[in-house]
Amino acid sequence: MSVKINTTINGQAVSASAEASTSLLEFLRDTLEMKGSKLCCNTGECGACTVIYNGKPINSCVTMAADANGAQITTIEGLADGDKLHPVQQAFIDTGAVQCGYCTPGYIMSVKALLDRTKKPTQADIEEAVSGNICRCTGYNKIVDAIHLAAAKL
Amino acid sequence: MAKAEYKVIGTSPARMGGIDRVIGKGVYGIDLMLKDQLHGAILRSQYAHAKIISIDTSEAKKLPGVHAVITAEDAPNVRYGRSYIDRHILARGKVRFMGDPVAAVAADTLAIAKAALKKIKVTYEPLPVLIDAEEAMKPDAVVLHDDMPLPKNIPADVKVRNVCGFTQVHVGDPDKAMAEADLVVEEVYETKMIHPQYLEPRSAAAQMEPNGRLTVWANAQAPFPVRQEVAKMLGMPLNNVRVISADIGGGFGGKGSGITSGAAIEPICGLLAQKTKRAVMIVLDKAEETISTTIRSGAKMYIKTGVKKDGTILARTGKVIYDTGGYSGFGVQAGGRCTNMLGGWYLMPNAHIDGYTVYTNKQVCGPVRGPGGPQAAFAVESHMDTIAAKLGMDPTEFRLKNIPKPGDKIIGVHKLRDVSLGETIKVAKENIGWGKVKLEKNQGIGLATGSWIESAGPGGGAIVKVNEDGSVTVHVGKIDMGTAPRFGIPVIVAEELGVPVEDVTVLSVDTDASPWDAGTVGSRAILVSGTASQRAAIDARTQLFKIAAGQLEASPDDLEIVDRQIRVKGTPSKTVALSVVATNAHNVIGEVIGRGYCDNLELMAEEKAHGSSQPFTTHACIVEVDTMTGNVKILKYVAVHDIGQPIHLAAVEGQIEGATAMSIGQALCEQVVFDKDGKTLNPSFVDYLMPTLNMMPRIETTLVHGYPGAGPYGAKGAGEIACVPPMACIANAIFNATGVRVTKLPLSPENVLRALKEAGKA
Repeated sequence: MSVKINTTINGQAVSASAEASTSLLEFLRDTLEMKGSKLCCNTGECGACTVIYNGKPINSCVTMAADANGAQITTIEGLADGDKLHPVQQAFIDTGAVQCGYCTPGYIMSVKALLDRTKKPTQADIEEAVSGNICRCTGYNKIVDAIHLAAAKL
Repeated sequence: MAKAEYKVIGTSPARMGGIDRVIGKGVYGIDLMLKDQLHGAILRSQYAHAKIISIDTSEAKKLPGVHAVITAEDAPNVRYGRSYIDRHILARGKVRFMGDPVAAVAADTLAIAKAALKKIKVTYEPLPVLIDAEEAMKPDAVVLHDDMPLPKNIPADVKVRNVCGFTQVHVGDPDKAMAEADLVVEEVYETKMIHPQYLEPRSAAAQMEPNGRLTVWANAQAPFPVRQEVAKMLGMPLNNVRVISADIGGGFGGKGSGITSGAAIEPICGLLAQKTKRAVMIVLDKAEETISTTIRSGAKMYIKTGVKKDGTILARTGKVIYDTGGYSGFGVQAGGRCTNMLGGWYLMPNAHIDGYTVYTNKQVCGPVRGPGGPQAAFAVESHMDTIAAKLGMDPTEFRLKNIPKPGDKIIGVHKLRDVSLGETIKVAKENIGWGKVKLEKNQGIGLATGSWIESAGPGGGAIVKVNEDGSVTVHVGKIDMGTAPRFGIPVIVAEELGVPVEDVTVLSVDTDASPWDAGTVGSRAILVSGTASQRAAIDARTQLFKIAAGQLEASPDDLEIVDRQIRVKGTPSKTVALSVVATNAHNVIGEVIGRGYCDNLELMAEEKAHGSSQPFTTHACIVEVDTMTGNVKILKYVAVHDIGQPIHLAAVEGQIEGATAMSIGQALCEQVVFDKDGKTLNPSFVDYLMPTLNMMPRIETTLVHGYPGAGPYGAKGAGEIACVPPMACIANAIFNATGVRVTKLPLSPENVLRALKEAGKA
């Protein structure tokens, strides 16, 4: 069964049809061909697919596309202002936190949501905010550095 | 040694491709979309060991939207493998682990493809399942591969089965030396299988071109071996197969062994493309990936050491049982390395170690980050602390007592050029506060060392082209997965050509255009492609200087390039832009194309003459053990490494910290768990526990400089060695905290608590 989904993604009104069983991640990647949110575990464990849904970071792989109806969704593609990177994006580059880069979009969305909530996150805030994001490349040092740098610049 | 003056070597410029990745525009293998592509899916064995009696695909073929259903009968009857050629791309006659591919489908949608898989009827005759490698070796065990002989070098009196690799280390007279020892310590250590769990799932896409060529898009670390094996498996001429690499979302060796890594996903996809005459793409589900793709093997290691009262090591004997899974994969090489490394990297005048690589009904061994090394180091470095405790010696003093000097040999290395091991121990002691830091109740301090191989492997080339705007394009055969190709190599080329790092573009691998390479494996990207790129850049520079010399009325030998300008040394006013010279080249030689190679024979000759300048490391940590729950918390962690000259500093730190984290994961929580039937009990990320930030300490990395390595500017490979010490480092800290030696990984709350209870300390 196909359903109509009317939502707002990165400030743009979007209207498209998808199978009722479609996840938000599949809707973004396959229906809208926005490949920035990453497919990995498909069980909501790794955070590579994180998007901001009505101000909160969520795993789009375990969210139904139909739940996007009427929602405001921000994805990694919606963060930069033209050629100007968002401070979180710039911080990930400046600290060398982007190795293979596959977890990066999900991290950036989790961190953006954190810094939208609090400008001066504590170490506990940071650990809580990215506890659902797995990185296999960095050992986390440079990601933590990136979060602190972004917080300092925002 | 005086510090060399470099412009950009050793700095941390932004990685090439960084912006694409932070804005979500990096194109990884799974982001590909081919026109009118079909979706492929693979049927996996339902048994860990069984005969295939029949496969009926008729119902699946009838399903609307299905374009092809293939089994072994549709593929040429040829096998692949690295040491033992023991495997078909789709199981033929027998299945040997639960992830074994049996059939594959191409359909209009993934849902139809999956529905079709359910309609394939396979009749199996189950066979006894071998989970434990030591049991699998026994003379009465069921034989997994009837037509695979035992290795030729196994002594005739050794009665074993299911062994596909044998390595024997024998030095001096270990029996005599052991008899003369004041103290003999004997232990058994065991590590479990882990999956590398790179985040990007394995994928392949393939399409037949109108001219009969096959194009394959692979997220493989080794595109050229994939090309060679795909051609062989599909019976095509090599030059009719083209493999293109997209960006790769992590590999860690798990994507590094040709088609073995992805259980033949590339040739299976190619065969579906051949049959359907359409583009086909296969993306593995993560749980499917865990059960089917290559892993870091578990190993059981018997280790016995004889020492004198003063701490001098006299002899080591031991046995390694290395579990390679259902097919030989990379197990022969990894098991061999594990066997050599069980001899340690200290002075070892007498030794005898037998290493067996053994078939079992499990996932297949791949060259996962330091193949064989982390397992051996868990045994060797835990054992060192056990011995030190029995001798009443400080563990660091015991190690320093047995450290080799330049020119000495260690097991598996005929001569060491320089030994920074002692320096790494001393710096690690200082950094962790050895003997100084005050430990609270149930806190302990531990340390472990490690080493890794230097060279030995195929060569590789590079092409450096200077474009008419002065920008530079580099072709190498190594893919980028957050490693040297887009970190260190742009830095090297920028250093030699006097351009900003951002002017250098390193292309993705396309087997139609890139120089052949064995792949981004074995900590060899900087050694092979770095050396080749440096030489290619110097070649390009020579060509530029020859063209510029006339214009500047100077000898080519008197020129230099600084900030995109070619100028006469000492006369900065005599200058011409690099872009002008590169444009002028059009009228002379067409284009400035520098070529360079890393010559493996040259490397080996150098190593033979002067010895190995391999990397060394020491890690140290402080842990707190909760004796109620068995939980281990790492309070402080330091990693000290000699990797020679760092080329891209942040990349080196990232490799060290990431590899350390991976082994901390294996130390504390990671393992692939099986039931008695060979079923993986924790295939998905819900059950396969990996470290997240909240269980990781900050890894404090320090680089020390030993003798220059064999790589460009004296660099040594940095991708794997940090995986070697962490498991023993943490086990030693637990030993220091509790007096209890845990000999089986992981050091999970369950295993630690059991060990504490057995010792009456919980």
